[in-house]
Parts: sequence; structure tokens; C-alpha cells
Amino acid sequence: MQSILSRSIKGPIGLIVSILVLIVIFSILNPRFGSIENLQNVLYQASVPLIVVVGATLVIQMGSIDLSVEGVMGASGMAWILLSPNTRHALDLGPWAWVIAIGLGLGLGLLSGLVHAKLKVPSFVVTLGTWYVGLGIAILLYGNGMLPSLTSEALARWPSRLSLGLPNSFWLAAVVILGGILASNYTGFGRGVLAVGNNETIARGGGMAVDRIKIAAFTVAGCLSGLAGILATMQLGSGSPDIGFGQLFTVIPAAVIAGTALGGGEGGVLRSILGVFLLIILNNGLVLAGVDPDFQSGVFGAILIVAIVAVAWPTRGALKVAK
Amino acid sequence: MKTLFQTTRRQFGAAAVAAAMIASLGSTAALAEFAHPEGFNPDEWVMVASVINTTNPYMISNIEGAEAVSKALGIKLEIVNSNNSSQTSISNILAILASGKKPIMFVNTVASSDAPPIVDAVGRARGYVSIWWNKPDEFKPQNVGDHFVAFQKHPGVESGRCGAQALADALGGEGSVVMLPGVQDSTTSQTRVAGFRAEIAENYPGIKILEERPSNWDPQLGARNAQDLIVKYGDEIKGVWAADDGMQIGAMQAFENAGLLDKVKFSSDGLYPKTLEDIISGRGGNAIVGETFHRGYMASAIGLYTTYLAASGQITPSELPDEKRESLFKLSCVTPQNYEQYLQYDEPGAADAFVARLVEAGPWDTQPVPLVGAGPEVLPNM
Repeated sequence: MQSILSRSIKGPIGLIVSILVLIVIFSILNPRFGSIENLQNVLYQASVPLIVVVGATLVIQMGSIDLSVEGVMGASGMAWILLSPNTRHALDLGPWAWVIAIGLGLGLGLLSGLVHAKLKVPSFVVTLGTWYVGLGIAILLYGNGMLPSLTSEALARWPSRLSLGLPNSFWLAAVVILGGILASNYTGFGRGVLAVGNNETIARGGGMAVDRIKIAAFTVAGCLSGLAGILATMQLGSGSPDIGFGQLFTVIPAAVIAGTALGGGEGGVLRSILGVFLLIILNNGLVLAGVDPDFQSGVFGAILIVAIVAVAWPTRGALKVAK
Repeated sequence: MKTLFQTTRRQFGAAAVAAAMIASLGSTAALAEFAHPEGFNPDEWVMVASVINTTNPYMISNIEGAEAVSKALGIKLEIVNSNNSSQTSISNILAILASGKKPIMFVNTVASSDAPPIVDAVGRARGYVSIWWNKPDEFKPQNVGDHFVAFQKHPGVESGRCGAQALADALGGEGSVVMLPGVQDSTTSQTRVAGFRAEIAENYPGIKILEERPSNWDPQLGARNAQDLIVKYGDEIKGVWAADDGMQIGAMQAFENAGLLDKVKFSSDGLYPKTLEDIISGRGGNAIVGETFHRGYMASAIGLYTTYLAASGQITPSELPDEKRESLFKLSCVTPQNYEQYLQYDEPGAADAFVARLVEAGPWDTQPVPLVGAGPEVLPNM
């Protein structure tokens, strides 16, 4: 474990410094930024993108991309709420609602993986397709009826309830993160993902089951998007085909900022998580600091550029070509 | 980048839904006999309702109203789903115009700037169009021609004022509130925000507006912003106003999670079914204190029927007074005391009943949304 940490942390030292600097500045601007209450708030808000980023990182490490996140979240979220106690009807499948909803994400991920690996279609295009398919399923499930809301108080409050001082939704994300770190560092699958990203031809030549690794990575990503869709639906207390709205543009930048190169073969789950925190903290801090809404987008972008420069600074000497 | 994806993200599902809708209309709507004026052949015309998307409850209601008018008048209907994108909206409308039939069109524009190209294209197809909610102020039906029959909306300033009164009264005229506007550059959001601020400034000196955080009509962003504001101000927040019910649903969830729902009052716009349910159940110690009432089906029905009257020669737009070309329709303030009188408008068949009354009374005189004034809306002096 020690070696994983040091290996993963050494790279993004600039990222950690950037996050620390932001924390210090925002705490000076508003002392409530550093409060326990805000820590819980940030962890609660970060939990959905944290779950998605684990799967997205695996895919990006292979040099592929998964754009289907928002569609899969919508499909799984809608499927889950319609099978859990809600205002539309009394159907309650309990744990089976989870199984079916995550299974839907798994199916969509598997579809992406199969088409990409077996039919050699670029992942960008395939997952754009599964995005629409997922969204289409979500819209059909939503239909023309009224907004489905959770009627079970226990389910609706679960994500924000605290266990050991931290919100349950974060604990769920933490379990996923731990699984992601273990899988990518201690399993053949994790090593395979990096090998495919580094050089697919060599990996294939070395007898590696490249197709199987690709399919597995997309399937895992689909499951995690599905899980994230369920969590986001619980957090809102209501179902919507748009439940994943905006997640893609949190998760992919978070992974890339943290050093998971879009070309593949680099980065890791732990780094991507830091990337998610950078984006969430930046947004939260700007609200707490009272930055005028008219300026918020601009200030967000400007600080992000500074942070990215800081992140890239230690590696600027390496013989890399920026594209 | 974001807009690019917004443009394309829904197409699969949207196409499926639109196809299903069109198919169901074609098969089930036994087009009723309606006494059209002489010389008007309904087979030469097609009704078109263009909506921003097909997932928002308001847009679904828009479609419901268009279906009701189509059924009542016996004219075939096509739905255009804009997928939240102006470009998709305009290109889909152009595709329908190219089909050869003359359009009787209602458009809920994605952005103000969509209005001129749409109106122009409808004119070239020898059709007629009414636009709801968004258009540039200087682009007036009176100056464009008879094919641009009318621009219609409910007053946003009035909506903001309703919300402000209900919230401030519920707080006894004292306390701090936060505001969640919609998309920042939307006219609808801006007029509602201006109305809210003006009402507070003019009549409630004891109410302090702590902050406004635009939440893009997005329930989740409403929830996230509400969480951040709770951390920032804690129990100092006594009231929350949102520019629509979607964001209010998110904000209420955030306050409920923080255990503050019964200490805060909410007001907003739209009286969504979920909101109505919360008012009836008294959720959070009667947390919702004010709403406004209007329905998407009423908007699309008024728009399409006005346009039909022009297309069938029963009105000549250029002879109408200004308030019937650029119109403001009534918006009702709803409170937990009077909500019951609005339940009838959500019952099954309410859209058909509304259309029946609309055909009877004309587009400017149908309760609960009669014509109340002429646009464009003037923002209050602050």
C-alpha cells in the first residue's frame, strides 16, 4: 500500500499543492469553508463524480474514452426509482431494483466494450451511441407521467446521513475507490489496462487478451455509471432522465487534469480523485467566497488554468509534445 | 463543447419519443368534425408545436395542449423536439416546412434569437406562427407581417412579485432570503428576478436578500447551490425563492437533508404536480408558501388557436390592437389557502376542456388565463 501511495502521489505533487493553496485561500476568504459542515458538504457533492471517475480512469488509461456516462446514469437512475417506492406506483423490488438498475448500466457498458473491441469501432463513436441509447431508455421510462419522487424517507435520507462523521454517499464512493485502486494495482486486469494504453500492439503480441480487457473495462465503467445514477437519484429524491447532466464535463477534465493522459498508459485512480476534488472545491469555494454569479464562470476558468499550469510544472522538462 | 453535446445527446431518445407521438396521433386521433370557415381546407395545413425538450414537465404539458387543439380542430399535428438546441429547433422546423403543407405553428423558443429565422421561414412557407416566452424585444409582430400572428407570454415580473409577497408575508416581513434564478441570460429568469427584487425593495424593508445563485433551471444544481448557501449562512436563511419549481425541488431536498426544512419557507413559479403534492401534504411544516399558476397546455393551446384563427382568415393580425399581437396572459398567485381552486386544471381531460372553452370564448378571454396586457414587459425601476 505504501508503495502505491508514494508512486501515485509523486506525480501529482503540483495538484496536491494546488488543492492546498485553494483550501488556504478559501478559508481566509470565508472561515466557514474549513468547517466540518463544509467538509461533509464537499464529500457529499463529490461522491457521484468520484464513483464515475473510477470507471472513466480505467477507460482513459487504455487510451479509449467513455462518453456514455450521462446517458447510462439517466437510464439506471430512472430504472431504479421506478422499481423503488415512488410517487408513481407502489412497486418496490428492494435490492432487486439495485441489481436491475446496475445491470442496465452493465449491459450498456458491455455493449460499448463489445462493439469497440470486436468491431474495432473507435470508443468515442461507440460510447456516443450508447449515450443516446441510455438517454433514450431514460426518456421512455420517464414517459409523459408526473415526476417520480421517492416515498421512502429512509432511502431519500440515506445519502446525507452520517456514519463515523462522514456522509453515507461518500462512504459508498470510498468503497468504489478502494476497489478501483486495488483492481488497478494488484490484478492482471489493472496491469493489462495500462499495457493496452501504453502499446496495444506489444500487449497483443505478448499474448495478452486485449479484447477481453477492453470489454471488461467498459463493463466496469458502465456498472459504475449506473451506480452513480442511482446515488444521484437518491440525493435528489426524484428521478429524471437528466440526472447525469454535467457529469461528463466534471469527470473527464478531472482525470486529465490529474495526469491521466488521453493517449492512455498513464495516470491512475488516486490521481483522478484529486482532480475531482480540485473541481468540486473550486466551485464550492467560489460560492462560499461570494464571487458574483456574473463572474463565477470566468473566475472558475481562470483559476483552473493556473492550477493546471501548476500541475504540469514538474513535468514540463520531460520530452513530451503538447497537442 | 457543452452546446455541441447538448445538441446531439438526446437525439436517439427524442427521435424515438417524437416518432411514437406522431405515430400515436396518426393512428388514434380520429380527427373530429369541426366547422371550419368556408375556403379553409384542413388537409392543406399541418399544426406544428415546437418545444424545447420532451422531459421537462412544462414541455410535456405544451405537447398535451397542442394535441388537444389538433384533436378539436381536426388538423394533423407534428411535434418538433428542439433537444435544448436552437440549431436543432430551426433545422427540424425547416424540415417540416419543406414537406409542402402550410404550417399553423406554436414555438416555445429555446433562445430569443431563434424567433426571427423561424418566423421568416414560416412566412416563406406561407404559414402562420405564434411564439411563446422568448423573442428579441425589438422584433415585433406588428412590424413583421401577418404571418407572425402574435408573441405571447405570462408576465415574469408578476411571477417574481407573487413569490416575494408570499415569502415575505410568511416571514412576517422580517428575515434573510436567498434567490435561485434560472439560466442567467434568459429573459424569463431575468424578469422574474427583477419582479422579486422590486417587490422586496418597494414593500418589505425588513427582508434582506443575502445572495442570488443562478441554477440553470437544473434541480441538481439548485440542490448543490442550496447546500453551499446553507454552509455559508447556516440558519440565517429564513426563506428561499427559486425561479421555477424544478430548482425548488432540489433546494428543498438540500434543506431537508440539513434538517432545516421546517425552519425555512419557499416560494417559486409553476405549481408542478410534485409541488402541489408538497403543499397538500404540508411537507416541512408547510414549507411552501407561494407559487404561481399557469400551465403549458394552456400556452400551446392559446398559441395554436390564435394562429389558426389567422390562418383560416377569421382574424386579420394587422387589424388587431397591440395587446393582441404582443400579449401578456394572466398569471395567478397561488398560496396554501387557495390552491384548491386550481386542482381542476390538472384533472384528466383538463386540456380538452380548456380547448373547448378556448374555442368558445376566443384566445384572449379564457379563464384562468385571459389576456391582461400588452408586451414587451417593462422591468421595474430599481
